[in-house]
Amino acid sequence: MQMTCETRGPVCIMRVESDRIDAAIAIQFKDMFRDMAATAPGPVVLDLAQVTFLDSSGLGAVVAARKLLGAERTLELAGLSPAVEKVMQLTRMNTIFLIHATRDAALAAHGVAPAA
Amino acid sequence: MTKLARAPGDPSAEVGGPVIGWCYRVDIGATREQVSHALVRLSRELIGLGLEPDALIRMELVLAEVLNNIVEHAYGDAGQGDIALEAAVHSNTIWCQLIDFGRPMPEGKLPPARRYDLDAMEVSDLPEGGFGWGLIRDLTSSLTYDRNGQENRLSLSIDLDC
Repeated sequence: MQMTCETRGPVCIMRVESDRIDAAIAIQFKDMFRDMAATAPGPVVLDLAQVTFLDSSGLGAVVAARKLLGAERTLELAGLSPAVEKVMQLTRMNTIFLIHATRDAALAAHGVAPAA
Repeated sequence: MTKLARAPGDPSAEVGGPVIGWCYRVDIGATREQVSHALVRLSRELIGLGLEPDALIRMELVLAEVLNNIVEHAYGDAGQGDIALEAAVHSNTIWCQLIDFGRPMPEGKLPPARRYDLDAMEVSDLPEGGFGWGLIRDLTSSLTYDRNGQENRLSLSIDLDC
């Protein structure tokens, strides 16, 4: 799997470049997230626009990522596809994460203008 | 991967539904990677049949949970073992059957759904697992488990529109 990290203002945007976060790559996702989160101190936005499938192992990895940041930092989600949104709703994890429609909406919420 | 033709006169071929009598069978090795690949292939196949995207999302999620449970618990993550998946679409329903030869379900029956009270939890206490049977039970309209000799057989159905 691939993930990219970009810092915009105070926000670190991590973009998952794979179309699935499932049991086959959940551990890899967690490891990559940990490495990237260590390089930026502020809030993290996880851009899931590319992800078309998330199973409970993938969800567990996203929750683990949230816990890794601790109570002082936030993990927000952006760009949920219908399949990802469904899992978040059914497990009620949508009540735990702040969810933005798009990456740009997440940036705007942090007072960062979208890239020109 | 083998596609089985419906026998002429099969009653299910006369019931209706968007795709009548489609039937599919695949053998999957009991690893997370092979499960992932099998689900991608099955979804592609079903998209080609013109089923509702929402039904495919529900099916893929249920099968991912069930298959990964088999890999993890029935076969104990040993990296080997066989799983047979059969799927058919008729009567406005996706019918699936999963057969494996691993350990039986605990106490010989389907585990209950586990529900969490997330509102009452600190971040550090949030659950990282245990969602599987809740998802399976929420998304299936029927779910049965049988143990016959060395064989586990799980049969489930998913409504095409709900």
